[in-house]
Amino acid sequence: MGENGAGKSTLAKVLAGVVKPDNGRILMDGEPVRIERPLDAQRCGIGIIFQELDLFPHLTVGENMVIANLRFQEAGIEEFCRPFLEQVGLARGVNELVRALPIGERQLLAIARALSMDARVILMDEPTSSLFDDSVERLFRLIRDLKTRGVSVVYVSHKMDEIFHICDRATVLRDGQTVDTIEIAATSPAEIIRQMVGRDVIVAARPYRRPAGDVVLAVDNLTTAKLRGVSFELRRSEVLGIAGLVGSGRTELGAALFGLDRVKTGSMRVRGEPLSPRSPRDAMELGIGFVPEDRRLEGLMMNMSVLHNGTIGVLEGFEEWGFVRSKQEMSAWESVARRLAVDCASPAAPVRTLSGGNQQKVLFARWLLLNPDLLFLDDPTRGVDVGAKQDVYRIIDSLAAEGKGIMLVSSELPELLRCCDRILVLCEGRQVAVYDAREATQEQIMTAATNFAAGNRN
Amino acid sequence: MRWWARAGSWVALAAIVALAIAISPTATDGGRIFLQAGNLTDILRQISLIGIIALAMTFVILTGGIDLSVGSILALSTTLTAMRLTHAPAGAGGGRMAVAILTAVVVCTSVGALNGAVIAVLRIQPFVVTLASMIGVRGLSKWLSNNENIDIGFGRDLAARFAEIFREKAIVIGAYAAGAAAFWILLGRTVFGRHVRAIGDNERAALYTGLPIRSTKIWVYSLSGLLSGFAGVLYAAENHQGNPNAGVAYELDAIAAVVIGGTPLSGGRGSIAGTVVGTLIMGVLTNMLRLNNVDSNVEMMIKAVIIVLAVAVQRGGEKEE
Repeated sequence: MGENGAGKSTLAKVLAGVVKPDNGRILMDGEPVRIERPLDAQRCGIGIIFQELDLFPHLTVGENMVIANLRFQEAGIEEFCRPFLEQVGLARGVNELVRALPIGERQLLAIARALSMDARVILMDEPTSSLFDDSVERLFRLIRDLKTRGVSVVYVSHKMDEIFHICDRATVLRDGQTVDTIEIAATSPAEIIRQMVGRDVIVAARPYRRPAGDVVLAVDNLTTAKLRGVSFELRRSEVLGIAGLVGSGRTELGAALFGLDRVKTGSMRVRGEPLSPRSPRDAMELGIGFVPEDRRLEGLMMNMSVLHNGTIGVLEGFEEWGFVRSKQEMSAWESVARRLAVDCASPAAPVRTLSGGNQQKVLFARWLLLNPDLLFLDDPTRGVDVGAKQDVYRIIDSLAAEGKGIMLVSSELPELLRCCDRILVLCEGRQVAVYDAREATQEQIMTAATNFAAGNRN
Repeated sequence: MRWWARAGSWVALAAIVALAIAISPTATDGGRIFLQAGNLTDILRQISLIGIIALAMTFVILTGGIDLSVGSILALSTTLTAMRLTHAPAGAGGGRMAVAILTAVVVCTSVGALNGAVIAVLRIQPFVVTLASMIGVRGLSKWLSNNENIDIGFGRDLAARFAEIFREKAIVIGAYAAGAAAFWILLGRTVFGRHVRAIGDNERAALYTGLPIRSTKIWVYSLSGLLSGFAGVLYAAENHQGNPNAGVAYELDAIAAVVIGGTPLSGGRGSIAGTVVGTLIMGVLTNMLRLNNVDSNVEMMIKAVIIVLAVAVQRGGEKEE
């Protein structure tokens, strides 16, 4: 168990031979083993079921099972695969293409493959993250069945109810370290949640906020492919936190607002005007801004300079006969760079040479120049050092103070408590709670986000 | 980045020029033939057509695209130009000539715009779209010309006068120089140029910043059609004919010049200056080998090595960062 970023998936990758450990030992049946390549893991009897299943969609079921399989001799694929497919309860022919299988069946295939490789330990990395309820039940039955056959299962998850449903012991990771290993029978969900979030919490005093202004955004019963009936209002000068695990729909909320995801039902209104954007440009025209989660892949042009990254969205403002008026561009840049305290050798330096925090500030600068009424910030302090984090918080404070409505997604609960006025908690696409940030606790939010209180997966 | 990687293509050009001077055969007066003014301007004239095409190809590749149709568009342009000129009534004046050239260039620009529209709106890979266009436009030129070359004579008629003007070294080289300057400014100083770079560097980020991705791409492919069409006009004059089979494999030479000049096919990085240098490298190399009577097949093999070396040197510098 562990929060996002606690090191769960990294552990899986080390055992799979994809990531090399710096030091430490791995013991198998009491014997130290070296796992340097994926084949070593197979030789040791370790099978990994990755979150994004590592199957070849354009190959058949049978081909997927025998490829790189050390135990497969030249015998018939059918005879080799059949017993393992039956064992996991996958009623598919070996000649069917994997891409035609629903995700739950692909997972069974991955488990069958691990079994056919003689795996004695199977690690499943968040196996239910993309499953529907009936396939979850089937998976749980299979796990219990594996247990009786003497196969050990390492079940990586941050969903509390699943852990209490299926596991015997739990190890809690936090910031890449083991916090504790406990017998499930001897603990409680509340205890595990405390261990998951239990970092030293340094929350600076909340700055004074003006009373919230007019409603700038009203979302009513918003439903998309990933969201189910989300409703809230956002006022000027208000910071609304969006809490939830990865995959809870928090990024997709921004995607819907910004015209990236299609809205199925429900409505959105900006300053009372209906909002149904079909592209980011549509959304921007109504004054919506979106700072994406991954600044390298979705935010910055890494080969371009700091200056050009900052001003790329507003060049039309300095245009004359199609030419960029560089003096105006530079003075606009300098005004925001000073305000955000961007630290770079020169505005002409490539943005890739900057630290993560300063890159994030450049992205903020771009949006400051675009000057939207409403800004959706998707985990803006991810991969940002401590000092720059404080700067980002101050920027959020000042944007709110000048009357913008802000939505802040974060994986770090202290950050949400520090920055927000209210916190909306999402779990599996549903809005499960809205808290006043002054009264909410980390435990409350985590409980809601893992949907433990509801006691079921629905 | 190491100095030799940053200045990569310039160093390579200097090295090849030095080598060309060193191994140049000597004329009867003892001077090196390579350095004679006539030879140097010949090199420039010879690279001008590919050079002009490579200017717009740089923009295309900067956006992360590719344009395989440039050779076919050039052929279409030679065909249209020659047809319009040879069909002109006797005694037609310069206005008629201008209309002929303009017609060819406008048609070619439209073909480019169509490429761009299909790529940007239907979101089909540029390689596939321009491959189809390369085949289709070649077919169009052959169909228009009935599979025949349209000869431009040497008399006093409009077509002959056209060829006389546009095959002048000064005109051809001047056109290339002016084009290079214009595209250099377009890329470095304009909003359009900035958008081209941004889209090629990170299209997702460009989308999230609300940049006009579609129209920028359509413009980029239109420019490619425009310059290929203009290169076709020069080709028709130089060769005294409209030739529906002209320009085969020109797209590969143009792409090679762009890549040698330091613009990776992945887009986002590169410069017009680099492409000009890349074009010069190819031109000087060809000239050097021909002056020394190297077999043209061997010439191709040497070019192959140069292309890979040029890219390897630039790539090698990146890892040092």
